[in-house]
Amino acid sequence: MPTKEHADGERERCVTGIDAIDHILNGGIPRGNTVLISGSVGTGKTSICIEFLIRGAINGENSLYLSVTEPTDKLLQNVIPFDFFDDRLARQGKLQFLDLPKMYEKLGIDREDLDLDQTRLLADTIAGLVEEQKIKRLVLDSVTSVCYRIREQERIRDFLLRLGTVLSAKGCTTLLVSEIRSSEEGYSQWGVEEALADGVIVTGNLERRGDLLRTLQIVKMRGTTHSRAKYVLDLTTSGVLLVPLLKGGSVTGGG
Amino acid sequence: MGEISVTAEVSEKLRALPESSAIAMRLKSEQYFDAIQGMIDRFAMKKDLEVVYVTSTIPSQSIINALEVLEIPMDHIWFVDCISQIMMSQEKRHPHAIIVESPTMLENIMLKVEFLLRRVPERNALVVLDSINSLAIHNNTKILSEFLHILVNNLRSRGAYTVIFSMQEYETEEIRNMLVLVSDETIELGG
Repeated sequence: MPTKEHADGERERCVTGIDAIDHILNGGIPRGNTVLISGSVGTGKTSICIEFLIRGAINGENSLYLSVTEPTDKLLQNVIPFDFFDDRLARQGKLQFLDLPKMYEKLGIDREDLDLDQTRLLADTIAGLVEEQKIKRLVLDSVTSVCYRIREQERIRDFLLRLGTVLSAKGCTTLLVSEIRSSEEGYSQWGVEEALADGVIVTGNLERRGDLLRTLQIVKMRGTTHSRAKYVLDLTTSGVLLVPLLKGGSVTGGG
Repeated sequence: MGEISVTAEVSEKLRALPESSAIAMRLKSEQYFDAIQGMIDRFAMKKDLEVVYVTSTIPSQSIINALEVLEIPMDHIWFVDCISQIMMSQEKRHPHAIIVESPTMLENIMLKVEFLLRRVPERNALVVLDSINSLAIHNNTKILSEFLHILVNNLRSRGAYTVIFSMQEYETEEIRNMLVLVSDETIELGG
């Protein structure tokens, strides 16, 4: 659901602040889109998400990171020390980190598998938080872990639709981290996630003659034209950098 | 006197070129360190350029040692070293050297150059590729041409000077064609 359109019919953009990604997307992610960041371990998903949030917070957009698998204090110890990070952003509440297990606890969700009511309660609670805190950028890391507890495909569909619709209406641009194995086909564990997302960004490892390159490819993004080419990624203290993958007739594997 | 003339020749010829120039520098092995001195000390330092030196020929520490002997300050000189790791070099790493695992990781070379230039957006730069011959040992012509084409055009759009070293003794027809394709000027050192 588009939030705003410019006079020329172009969707308003959420400028990620990651120059290369904004360039690939012709100006940024259409605002309100829910985007799956999909990839295997160590391919840079979390770093991309954190940079997305920090850049947003610097730009005055309230940003929230919901961590499912790793306590945020541990996560922050291991995150790249970005040059542009300013810890005042967290103190001012512009950049917030929240452990989802704490939310489960508050909601009284103690069962391993969530029933329909609990699934809806979780989606509504996240949506309520976004509204209350005027969050414009949200990261759920990872949606795979949440879906593990929802289990049933129908309920996963319900959760993602409910969450996506509400967040989009509030103009909140959301990144859902999807953990997949490198050997896996598709971009998500259940297949529902990629079907419902407005965009899919895939990170991966590409082995070329014994070298292992980190790659990024935007395979889908509703509301904008974009390159679908594969790029090579570097995670630096200046942020995420991308350059085109060189073809050179020597590429043998997929990412 | 011959050595001094190479140093002077390099700096004079570079000074005559406008910003954004991509230069193929064809030199002989014995002119190597004099060419580096002319380019960095007499040209880049005088023009107050940030230097990003990509080395796939010899480890960055060897060049740094030579620069230190010449008392050239390292403040604005950075290295992208694509050879030390593959050589399993035990030498200590200079804080101004960034390692790329192998000269075959051409995209990573571009990324490291980009990273270093981003740190000083207000300064103009000289990017040195040392050398096309050693890169050609590790990469096929197609991918190397593609790499040079993208890198040089990117640097040109930033207003940076690009100097590509080519050792005359190791040049092939393919290398010469590649240089013609991507460079605006060729400097062939006398002597």
